[in-house]
Amino acid sequence: MAGLELLSDQGYRLDGRKASELRKVQARMSVFAQADGSAYLEQGNTKALAVVYGPHEVRGSRSKSLHDRAVINCQYSMATFSTAERKRRHTETLYPRSQIDIYVKILQADGGNYSACVNAATLALVDAGIPMRDYVCACTAGFVEDTPLADLCHAEESGGGTSLALALLPRSGNIALLQMDARLHQDHLDTLIEAAMTACKGLSEVLDGVVRQHLEEVSVLTRD
Amino acid sequence: MIKTEKVLHLNSSKGRKVRVVREHYVREQVPCGSALCQADCHNDSKVLSGDVTHYVVPDVGVVRDFLEILEFRELQGIVLTQTAYQTVQHTRGRRHYNRLRALLKDPRHDCVLFANEFQRYCYCPRDKGESQDKWHTRNVYNAAVWYYNHLAGLQPVVMITEDSEAISQFSALNSGVYVISTQEYLLSFWPDLQAAHDLYNSIAQTLQERESEVVEKVYTEHLPAEVLEAGIKSGRYIQGILSVNKHRAQHEAFVRYEASASKNTELNSDVLINGAKHRNRAVHGDAVVVELLPRNEWKGRTMALTEGQGEEQTLEDTQSQPMPTGRVVGILQRNWRDYVVTFPPLEEVQSQSRNSQKILVIPWDYRIPKIRISTQQAEALQDQRVIVRLDSWESTSVYPNGHCVRVLGKAGELETEIQTILLENCIHVPPFSDAQLREMPINTQENPWQMDSSEVSSRRDLRDTHLVFSIDPKGCEDVDDTLSVRTLPGGKRLELGVHIADVTYFVREGSLTDLEARSRATTYYLADRRYDMLPAVLSADLCSLLGGVDRYAMSVLWELDAETLDVCTVWYGRTLIRSSYQLHYELAQSLLNGEEVEVPELSQLKGPQRDQKMAELLQALETLTRVARHLRAQRDKGGALELEGVEVRAQLDEEKNITALVPKQPLEVHETVAECMIHANHWVARKIQESFPHQALLRHHPPPKQEFFNSLIDCAKARGFSINTRSNRALADSLEQAVDPQDPLVNKLLRMMATQAMSNALYFSTGACPEEQYYHYGLALDRYTHFTSPIRRYADVLVHRLLMAAIQLEKEGSPSKPLASNKELEELAHHINNKNRAAQHAQKQSTELFQCLYFRDKDSNIDERCVADAVIYAVRTNGFLAFVPQYGLRGAVYLKDREGQVVSVDGDGKCEWKAGTLQRYPDRISTCTSTGTHTFYLFDHVTVRISVQPSRCHTDTLCLELISNKPHCAVQPESQPAGRGRSELVQEVVRWAEEASLQAEEERGKKSKLSREERQFRQSKTPNLYVLLQEISELALLDLSVCQIRNTEEQTCTASS
Repeated sequence: MAGLELLSDQGYRLDGRKASELRKVQARMSVFAQADGSAYLEQGNTKALAVVYGPHEVRGSRSKSLHDRAVINCQYSMATFSTAERKRRHTETLYPRSQIDIYVKILQADGGNYSACVNAATLALVDAGIPMRDYVCACTAGFVEDTPLADLCHAEESGGGTSLALALLPRSGNIALLQMDARLHQDHLDTLIEAAMTACKGLSEVLDGVVRQHLEEVSVLTRD
Repeated sequence: MIKTEKVLHLNSSKGRKVRVVREHYVREQVPCGSALCQADCHNDSKVLSGDVTHYVVPDVGVVRDFLEILEFRELQGIVLTQTAYQTVQHTRGRRHYNRLRALLKDPRHDCVLFANEFQRYCYCPRDKGESQDKWHTRNVYNAAVWYYNHLAGLQPVVMITEDSEAISQFSALNSGVYVISTQEYLLSFWPDLQAAHDLYNSIAQTLQERESEVVEKVYTEHLPAEVLEAGIKSGRYIQGILSVNKHRAQHEAFVRYEASASKNTELNSDVLINGAKHRNRAVHGDAVVVELLPRNEWKGRTMALTEGQGEEQTLEDTQSQPMPTGRVVGILQRNWRDYVVTFPPLEEVQSQSRNSQKILVIPWDYRIPKIRISTQQAEALQDQRVIVRLDSWESTSVYPNGHCVRVLGKAGELETEIQTILLENCIHVPPFSDAQLREMPINTQENPWQMDSSEVSSRRDLRDTHLVFSIDPKGCEDVDDTLSVRTLPGGKRLELGVHIADVTYFVREGSLTDLEARSRATTYYLADRRYDMLPAVLSADLCSLLGGVDRYAMSVLWELDAETLDVCTVWYGRTLIRSSYQLHYELAQSLLNGEEVEVPELSQLKGPQRDQKMAELLQALETLTRVARHLRAQRDKGGALELEGVEVRAQLDEEKNITALVPKQPLEVHETVAECMIHANHWVARKIQESFPHQALLRHHPPPKQEFFNSLIDCAKARGFSINTRSNRALADSLEQAVDPQDPLVNKLLRMMATQAMSNALYFSTGACPEEQYYHYGLALDRYTHFTSPIRRYADVLVHRLLMAAIQLEKEGSPSKPLASNKELEELAHHINNKNRAAQHAQKQSTELFQCLYFRDKDSNIDERCVADAVIYAVRTNGFLAFVPQYGLRGAVYLKDREGQVVSVDGDGKCEWKAGTLQRYPDRISTCTSTGTHTFYLFDHVTVRISVQPSRCHTDTLCLELISNKPHCAVQPESQPAGRGRSELVQEVVRWAEEASLQAEEERGKKSKLSREERQFRQSKTPNLYVLLQEISELALLDLSVCQIRNTEEQTCTASS
C-alpha cells in the first residue's frame, strides 16, 4: 500500500484544501453565563472551549501576587473523548507568572490544538472585557515538498513532516510565540514563517468578524 | 468552499478498528482539464485535446486491473477520476501507482486527472450500508455526468466499468453518459487496435483464473506489512534487494544488504537464500524481507563452475565457508518489469498439457523463473520472442502468472535479439515523433539556419579574439567540445578556454525534445549502431561545433598564471565561437612532434601567411600540452588512478572498422584533451555546488570496499606482487609497480581486477548526500560533474541549466525560473544512473551477441580462427576462468566433465578427457590422471577452442574448450610474439581489419534481410569514437572484460614489436 500523499500533484491536500487555505473557523462568544468571559471555537474538527475568570484577587498564597503586574493563570486540558484514541487527562501551565484564570479545554482534537486554544482564549478574554493590545491569533504551518501548508489537520501533523506553531499580534506584526519541534532546513524557515503569518492574519479577520457580530447581537439585546 | 465530513474506518497502530471523522472540503471551481471547457477553468497543466471523438471515464476497477490498456497511446481523451486514482494508491502497490502517475505526467498521453471528490456537484457521500465498490462506482459515474454537463454536451462522454450491475443501473438513467463495459468499448470504439484486444483478453483470462483457483499451498504466506516493519525495526528481519545468481538461478540468490537498514553489525556480507522454498516467490530485483536461519542451517556459496541449468550439484566440498543464510518472509516491493520469453518446443507443450491453455514460458533472463501464461496462440508463437508481464504469484502456485503483451519477432534473428537486449535493459528508443521534430530549428540548403541577433548581442563574442579549435577522432561529426588557449596582454597570464556546444539553447526545458532526451538520458551505443539522445539536426549539425561556422557555446575561461599555471580567475558564460581548426588526434600529435603535415584548413594559404598561422596553432597546442601535464600532475598527487588509458584504445576496436584500429599507441594529445575536459567539469562542479548547495547535480565515485580487493591481492601475491589498497594513491602506485617484464598481460589483468572491485561513479544531488561523500575516488577530485558532452548525455544538459542559473543568480540575485528541488533532482539523478547502467549492459550484451554471430558460422573443429590463446585469471573447483585476448572473450574452462572425467595433458601439451581427480589450491589447480599430474597456475597461457553453444530461450553462449596447456603461439609460429618486425605487425593489423570487415559484411548480410520497419528503429550507424573515448577516459568503469582484453592483445603486439 502506498503511503499517504499529503499534497497531490494538482495541489490538493488530503481534505481537499489548497496549500494556503485555512480550515473552516466558526466561533461563538459568551457561551457560559457564570464566567466573566467565555468562547467556543471550531477550527475544522478541532473544537476548543475557553473560559476566563477575573481579573480577581489572587487566590491561595498571597506571596504569588506581583505588586505591579497581574498574574495570569492558565490551565489547558483535553477532554477524554477528544481524540480517536483516548488519552489521559493532563494539565499544563502555559504561561507562568500568571494572574487571570484562563481555562481552555479541547473538546475534539484534530490537529492544531494549541493554536485553537490560543484563538479561543483570545475570544474569551475579549468577552471578559480585559483590555488587550491586539488579538492574539495562532496558526500552524507545515512543510511538504518545498510547499508550505497552512493550518495542518491531524493527518497532516502526524504525517511525519515539520509543524510550526506561530502566534501573532496581527496589527503590529509581532510574533508572540514560535514553536517547532521537528527538523527543518534553515533555508525554508522564512517561507514557513511567512506562510504561518499569512494564515494568522486570515484568522484574525475571522475572529474580528466574530467579535463584531457578537457585539452587534449584544448591543441589540441591551438596547431593548 | 464547503465543509463536509467523511467518516472513515481505519486500522489503528494497535490493530483495532477506529472510527475517524475527517473533514472534506468541496468547491465549485475544480479545473476540468479539457480544451473544450466553457467555464474558464484554470487549466494550467496538461489539457485534454478537444478534437477527439469522445472522452472516456474509466471506473475504479478498470484503472486498477486494466491500466495497461489505458497506457496505449492510441486511446485518447481519458479522464481519470480522483476516486480511481486514490483507490489504486491504496489497493495496489507503489509501483502500480507510480506507473499511473507517470502516465498522467507524460505529455504524450492524452489523459488528465480530475479531482472529482473535491468538486461540489460530483462528490456524493457514502450511503449507509453501501459497499465501498458501489460507492466508488457511483462517484465515478457522477463525475462523468458532471463532465458531460460541464462541457455543455460538446463531447460525448463514455464511462467504462467492469461492474455489470452498474451498467444496467446507470444506462437506464439517460443522463447523456454512455456506460458500457471495457470490452464493448474496445470493440465499438477501437476495433482496429488488435494489440489492446489481445491484452484485454489476456488480462481478463488471468483475472478469471486467479479467482477460480483453489489448490494446496506451495509456499508459506508472506507476513503482513506491519509485522515486517516491526521486525525490521527490531532487527529481527533484514531488508534488502534480492539478486539471483545468474549461473545457479534455481538455487542461489543473495539479498544485498542495505547497510543502514539494520543494526545487526555481526552481518557484513550478503545473505544467502538457498532454494525456491526459501526464496518464497521473490523475483530478482524485488525488495524483500529476510529472516535469518539458525546457524547450523547456514550454507556456503557454490564455487564450482556450472554448465547448464537445473543441474543438481550440492556436494559439500564445492562450497565455500558457510555464510548467513535466510528465508524470505515478506516482500516490500515488487520490481517486476517486462520480460522477454520464449515458448517451449511444441512437444514439451503437449506433454505439459494438463490444461493446454496454460503454458510455462521461459524468460530470456536466466534469473527470472518460468512464467505461466494463458494463451491459445502457443503454436503461432513458437520460435518467437514475446514480451510478458507478471501479474501475480500466489502461494498456491509453483510459478508466477503472467500475460502476453506483444510479440517481438523470430528468435535468433539479429533484429529480434537486439530488441530483446534493449527491452531486457528497459531501454525504449522509438523513432523521434513528428511533434518532436517540429520543434527543431530548420537548417537546409535553401533555408539555412541563422543566428538570432538578440542572442548575438547577449553573448560574449569570441569569434575574432580567440583561436578556437577542436581535436576529435577522424570523421567525427558531433563535436561537443572545443579548446582555446592564448597569452593575455602583458604576458603574465595565460587564458585557457573550454567551449561546449550550447544544447540548452536549442532544447528548452519541458519541451518534447527535452522530455524525450530526459527519458533516454543518454545516447545508446550498441556494437553495430547507436540510438541518439537528440535528433540528428541538433547532434550532428546545429549543436556540433564544426570548423569555420558560427556556433553558440557555453564556455569556461580560466586565467592561469603563466609561470606556475595556477588558476587565478574563472569566467563562465554563453559565448559565440567559430572553430578555426577541426583537427584529429593523429594530426595534432604529429604537429606536436614537429613532423611535416598538411593542415587542411591551411592548404589554401601560401608562404609567410601560412607559416604564421601554423606557428600560432603550434604555439597553442604546445601551451595546451604544458597546461594539461600540469593538471595531470596535480591530480596524480591526489592519487588519481591510471585505469583509463588502458581502455581507450580498446574501445576503439569495437568499431569494427579500419580507422578505429589505428590509434594503437596512446597519444599524449588524447590525454591533453581529456585533462582539459576533466578540468572544466571540475570547475563547473565547484561553481554550481557553491551557488546551489542543495540542488546541484554532481558525480561522485565512492571509494571501494576493501574486501572487494581480496581476490586482486591474492592474485597479485601468486605472482609475488603486493598491492596496497589503503587509498587511491597507494593503489595507483602499487599497480604501477606490479609489472611482469615477461608478460605484460599480468599488469593488465591486475588493473582489470582492480577496476572490477571499484564501485560505479554515480550522479547525485548535493542535497541528498553529506559533503564528505562528494569525492571522486578515481579522478581524485573533491567535486566533479559532467559538463562537456551535452549532445549525448542528459546529465550535462542539466548541469548546463544549473550553470546558467548560477550565472543569473550572480547577476540578478535570483534565478529566473525555480530550479528543480533536491528531491526531484535526486530522482532524476537516479534515473540517469539507471539508464547509464542499462546502456552499459546493453552495449556489453550486444558485443557478446556479435561475438556469437561471428563464431556461429565457423566450424570450430576446422577453422583456425576458432583456436586462440587464453590466460587463466581465476581458479574454481572444477575448472578455471580464462580470457581470450584475441577476441576479447572471457569464459569458463572446465577441467572436469559431467561424467567426472578430467582433462589430462600429455607430453606435447595435447589435452584429453580421462578418469582422474582434481585438486584445487588458492592459486592453482591440478589434474591427476593415470598419465600424470598437471598443474595450471594463475596467469598461465593455454590454448582453447571457441565454439558456440546454441540456446533456444536465451542468448547463445560461447564455449571454451582446453586443447593445450601451451600458449597458442606455439601452435601458430607466425604469430609468435617474439621477434616480430614492424611489417608483420602491420600485417596483423590488416588481418584484424579484414576480420572486422568480414564481420561487418556478415552483419550487412543479415541487415539486408530486415524489413523496412525494422530498419526504422535504427537511427544512425557507426558510433562516434570520440564520445566513447570521452566516456571511458573519465573512468566510467564499464564492465571492462571486453575492452581491456582487447587492449591487452594490442599491448602484446606493440610490446613485441
